[in-house]
Amino acid sequence: MSTSALAFSLLPSDIAQFSPRLGSLSLRRRDSSTSSVIEIKTPNFTTSTSRGVIPHLSRDHVRSIKSIRWTGVPFESFLDRVPPVPVLQTGSAPLHTFLGYDRGQHILAMSVRDPFDGRDMPANGKDHISALCIRGVRKVTPSSWKSYFYSCKPDVVVALSDVPYTQAPQSQKRLQKSIERSTVWLTHLLSKSDAPAAASSPEAPSGRPNVLVNLVGGTDERARAAFSENLVEILQGKEQEQISPLRTLDEGVTGYQFELLPLRATLRAEYGQVSQEQDSTSEAGQLSALMRASLHSLPSNKLRITYGSQTPHEILRFIRDVGVDLFDIDWAQRAASIGVTLDFRFPVPKTSVQYSVCVQPKTRGVGKADIGHNLFNFDYAHDHSRLASTFLDGEAFLATQNQNSDKLPCCHCGACTPQPFASTLLHDQVTEVREHPTSPIPPYTRSYVHHLLHTHEMSSHTLLVMHNIAVMDAFFSGIREVLQKSHSEPDLFATEVDRFLSTYAEPETLFAEAEKDWAKVESERGKGRLAREKQNQGGGEVEEG
Amino acid sequence: MQFEIVAKCHTTRARVSRMKLAHGVTMLPTFMPVATQAAIKGLTAQQVEALGINLILNNTYHLNLRPGMNILKEIGGAHRFQNWRHNLLTDSGGFQLVSLSKFTKITEEGALFSSPFDGEPTMLTPEESMSIQHTIGADIIMQLDDVVSSLTVGPRVEEAMWRTIRWLDRCIETHDKSGKKDVQNLFAIVQGGLDPELRDKCLDEMIARRDRVAGYAIGGLSGGEEKDVFWRIIKQCAAKLPEDRPRYSMGIGFAEDLLVCVALGVDMADCVFPTRTARFGVALTFQGPMNLRLGKHAADFRPIDESCPCPTCTDKMSRAILHHTITLETAAAHAITQHNLVFQARLMGGARDAIVNGTFPDYLKTFFKNYFGEAGYPEWCVNALKSVGVDLLEGNPGARVQAGAGAKWERVE
Repeated sequence: MSTSALAFSLLPSDIAQFSPRLGSLSLRRRDSSTSSVIEIKTPNFTTSTSRGVIPHLSRDHVRSIKSIRWTGVPFESFLDRVPPVPVLQTGSAPLHTFLGYDRGQHILAMSVRDPFDGRDMPANGKDHISALCIRGVRKVTPSSWKSYFYSCKPDVVVALSDVPYTQAPQSQKRLQKSIERSTVWLTHLLSKSDAPAAASSPEAPSGRPNVLVNLVGGTDERARAAFSENLVEILQGKEQEQISPLRTLDEGVTGYQFELLPLRATLRAEYGQVSQEQDSTSEAGQLSALMRASLHSLPSNKLRITYGSQTPHEILRFIRDVGVDLFDIDWAQRAASIGVTLDFRFPVPKTSVQYSVCVQPKTRGVGKADIGHNLFNFDYAHDHSRLASTFLDGEAFLATQNQNSDKLPCCHCGACTPQPFASTLLHDQVTEVREHPTSPIPPYTRSYVHHLLHTHEMSSHTLLVMHNIAVMDAFFSGIREVLQKSHSEPDLFATEVDRFLSTYAEPETLFAEAEKDWAKVESERGKGRLAREKQNQGGGEVEEG
Repeated sequence: MQFEIVAKCHTTRARVSRMKLAHGVTMLPTFMPVATQAAIKGLTAQQVEALGINLILNNTYHLNLRPGMNILKEIGGAHRFQNWRHNLLTDSGGFQLVSLSKFTKITEEGALFSSPFDGEPTMLTPEESMSIQHTIGADIIMQLDDVVSSLTVGPRVEEAMWRTIRWLDRCIETHDKSGKKDVQNLFAIVQGGLDPELRDKCLDEMIARRDRVAGYAIGGLSGGEEKDVFWRIIKQCAAKLPEDRPRYSMGIGFAEDLLVCVALGVDMADCVFPTRTARFGVALTFQGPMNLRLGKHAADFRPIDESCPCPTCTDKMSRAILHHTITLETAAAHAITQHNLVFQARLMGGARDAIVNGTFPDYLKTFFKNYFGEAGYPEWCVNALKSVGVDLLEGNPGARVQAGAGAKWERVE
């Protein structure tokens, strides 16, 4: 028998409906094998997975990165087999076991669909949604979803909801259907029907699973409000019996989530494709308004998660304007896949801080700095400094130990502060157990990652993912520190957000450049590549051959 | 280099030795994983170190193209560049010139090839190869040799053998004058194709230079020659090479090849095989290679090998999740790479212990029985080991023997 109760609490002063808030999320496990609490201070981030794994990280790396805690697991990649393989895994925490997550460190939230896959899909039906696996589209019904959940026992389940991934925008009638179906499917998840009789399931002490619900309603504020009203409506008669002893659906819900990708698609279809900073600001504004429309009639003390924010700028706006608690950092993980090392901080470092011998990110035309470096760029071939100018590496940090004024913080990631693993395997009885050198390992350099990117070596992405996650971890802890201080300095957070927005450029251009370089290396692989590359560079780069 | 023999097998020619280089001690015999572009594919240097590996290989040809010598000079060599704190070996660059470049022309001065950057004629001389390897800074460096395919016959083989000897002299001259002799160790490469007489002449010449080289490699093999010829050449070379020098067999990586070579007196070997095959989903086990792409592993929740100490198996990562992710997620390649490198290290570590404990013949018998028992023993392994006093079939009259190379593969459905 296992219990895993997810609790969320806010500072009493932060209960206002739509303002930045400090909270604490804790998952307490009590079962035969573990007695532990995983605590996440909010605002904070979640990591996203592909086919169940955090891209580019082996399990030893995942374990060593302590900021990886809440991890989202889209289930659809497992639908290529019947039954899906994780369902067959035995043990008290099958999903953790199957995917190699540590019950003492990781909270797993299982959803049907990958919230970062916005491809057009066949329409959902009255009793199913369309999901995508490697062998094509599969239908997932509320009953099968419920059974997958009870078999896999993740810590958190995202209720099935009817979010259309068909050509946007959707009609009024389609939105109506979306709301109705999502309500019925949530009711089914919370009801006793199709639930296993024995309580050998991941349950809150109340006897209920930890459920997140997608707040639906598309880009129509009235539709969004209508769905939320369904959640808090006190049910009567037969409907109430289904979910008894709950009186409202909302009572069975642990938190709310917003999938921004389909909303963006609809907004862009409605208002036309526009780009550049001005418009992303207004898109963030529109998204905030839609989220507020959903949250307006809901209790303000529940967890709020968004999936699909695209920049630190948006994250700050959603914290400031909506009071969102948890964010995915898929864009930062993806940045690692296209060769971008993040290099920014919140609050923005004071200008008096010395950057030591480390080149800062490029400044764009508008006088704002990039939030990172495209390490594909040949400027970095000879740059033997650490990945980020706004953090010190472990070696430099130690060297400046006694220097206390205006010192940069240390980036503890596996690229900036490489640590030997605690133990080294021995394969015989004759090898002398070697003492590790005690001096710190110097950081991996930009020139090395540049080299790895151009030679298509996978370790480049591993180093960058570790680093980008660490930068995001520092970003969120900076946010929490500022929010903490805001209790005595009321305007501090808003001021710092403004300072951030006016210091750092939105990363569209940076990411677009990196993606282009990445695609070029991909396409040029194979024989004769160096010559093709040289031609394309117009002889700009001098290298020995 | 300090080189010291710790133990010898009472039956075969296998030996355990201790090789101390500038970046620590490496116990031999050992297998060296290949980090062609200054990275073991997918892993960080810290991960490789944690696997109990302390000698890896970089390819000179590749590092010379990328990142190029200017960058390696600036940062202070390949150890720092890839953050590797242990021993490192570089090849001479000659092999890749022949295998990767169509237009390489060998002259007495060096190898003339067209630059992959701009097609300009470029010359790699023995002096240049030394200079590049000095910049890379590996603990063991290789002479430039005149490589011919192991399938070549005729006067070209003899010509290449003599030229290799002349180039060795030029490498020695350059290396002696470099001031790097105390931290970098030059190995000679025995050539001579598949002709025992040529090999013998080459051995004589190279052994005459023993005081000026730190070790010897056996080159010109692993190029598709008959296995039966392969082991005879290895045996001939290993037998004649000076006992007090390490012997390195280039391009060897299959488990059965490694153990036969060890039994014949080889100390070091390298190959991309365990890391490359990992990326295609093949995990190495003592029961033979396991192709995780096969559908039969899709719902198999066992780890690759229950008894394996690698990070993948101790984490109980199942064949099922590896099947689900291999070739689609890099993390699956990392996991199998970690496992395969540990498999190679266990194979060689087990051999070292067995040699020290006087049980190496049994070790060979057990390995071959588990690895090939069902499919049949490769005939060439049986013959090679018989020649050094180990009869794999002893006490096993019903054992099957198969002709041919004998590698055991599971095919994708």
